[in-house]
Amino acid sequence: MRALLVVSHPSATSYTKAMAAAARRGLERGGHDVEELDLYTMRFQPAMTKAERDAYHGVDPMVDPAVQLSAALVKRADVLVFVYPTWWGGLPAMLKGWLEKTMVPGVAFVFDAENKVRPGLQTVQRIVGISSYGSKRPYVMLVNDNGRRVLLRALRLNTGWRTRRTWLPFYGIDTSTEDERIAFLDRVERAMAAL
Amino acid sequence: MRFTDLYEDEFDPVLSEAEHVNHLADPSTKPAIARYVDDLRWCRSLVLIYPTWWAGQPAMLKGWIERVWMHGVAWELAAGSARLRPLLRNVRSITVVTTHGSSKWVNALEGEVGKRTVTRVLRSMCSRRCRTRWIALYGIDRSTEAQRQRFLARITRRLGR
Repeated sequence: MRALLVVSHPSATSYTKAMAAAARRGLERGGHDVEELDLYTMRFQPAMTKAERDAYHGVDPMVDPAVQLSAALVKRADVLVFVYPTWWGGLPAMLKGWLEKTMVPGVAFVFDAENKVRPGLQTVQRIVGISSYGSKRPYVMLVNDNGRRVLLRALRLNTGWRTRRTWLPFYGIDTSTEDERIAFLDRVERAMAAL
Repeated sequence: MRFTDLYEDEFDPVLSEAEHVNHLADPSTKPAIARYVDDLRWCRSLVLIYPTWWAGQPAMLKGWIERVWMHGVAWELAAGSARLRPLLRNVRSITVVTTHGSSKWVNALEGEVGKRTVTRVLRSMCSRRCRTRWIALYGIDRSTEAQRQRFLARITRRLGR
């Protein structure tokens, strides 16, 4: 299968980058083709501009070349893998903006004659989320796990109903030990190899 | 009343590597966002106005939260504690005015991401008695001019209370 890794973290030495590397190793070991979008390294501009907003409902909603590249990779992907740190209970602005700009009409969905949204990502067979959380699991559940809901519910409304979901959370990173962090990277690699 | 238009300001929503590395530094070391910090510490009511995109706050507004609601402004960590201590005790109410392309039913199915981000996450850094209000127009993509006009009147009426 073709897997697209979408990675969001400002620092090259971050745990997020280590999780992304582990995911890539696992996917390659499993015999999958891997493409990667490292949003900070690309200097992706997450704020939808006025020009982009104006073009949104038109024939060609993609103004930014980085978005055109992203959409081409999304359309080819069988598996979407998101790797990011959970900030303020949800997706970092960088990744949220990438979704807003890439998952536009004609890519993620189409508007039907009654202006209702219809799914456009039927080729995606699986959505995977790999995220670190500063908080422990009970607090994450209490505040609604908002990043997970965007990717596994809102985005999934635009894929087929048979699209499978995999969530790999690392809770409590702020108080974690080195051993726990290493064990989680191993878990990510194994889970991705076994997709 | 103080007013901020993030797009007008060309606010950069991207938390940089330097900000991430220095996230525990004193807010005074980040003069580029001093005005936003000052406004947040000054207000008693916070009103957020935005379109709901992909179930939640647009990247621009999410980035404002990530950069401005920083350590020393919205929260602090007491020595030896893993629990954040809220600092925005001045904020007694948060009001959201938003539009949703989809219906209320679809928003419920998606899990009310934008609403919970405000009522459970942001609110936890404010006054213990902080109240939240949600003023929303659902299904704007299929709405009529009359419905949109009624919603504008409702915003004026509710914020007047």
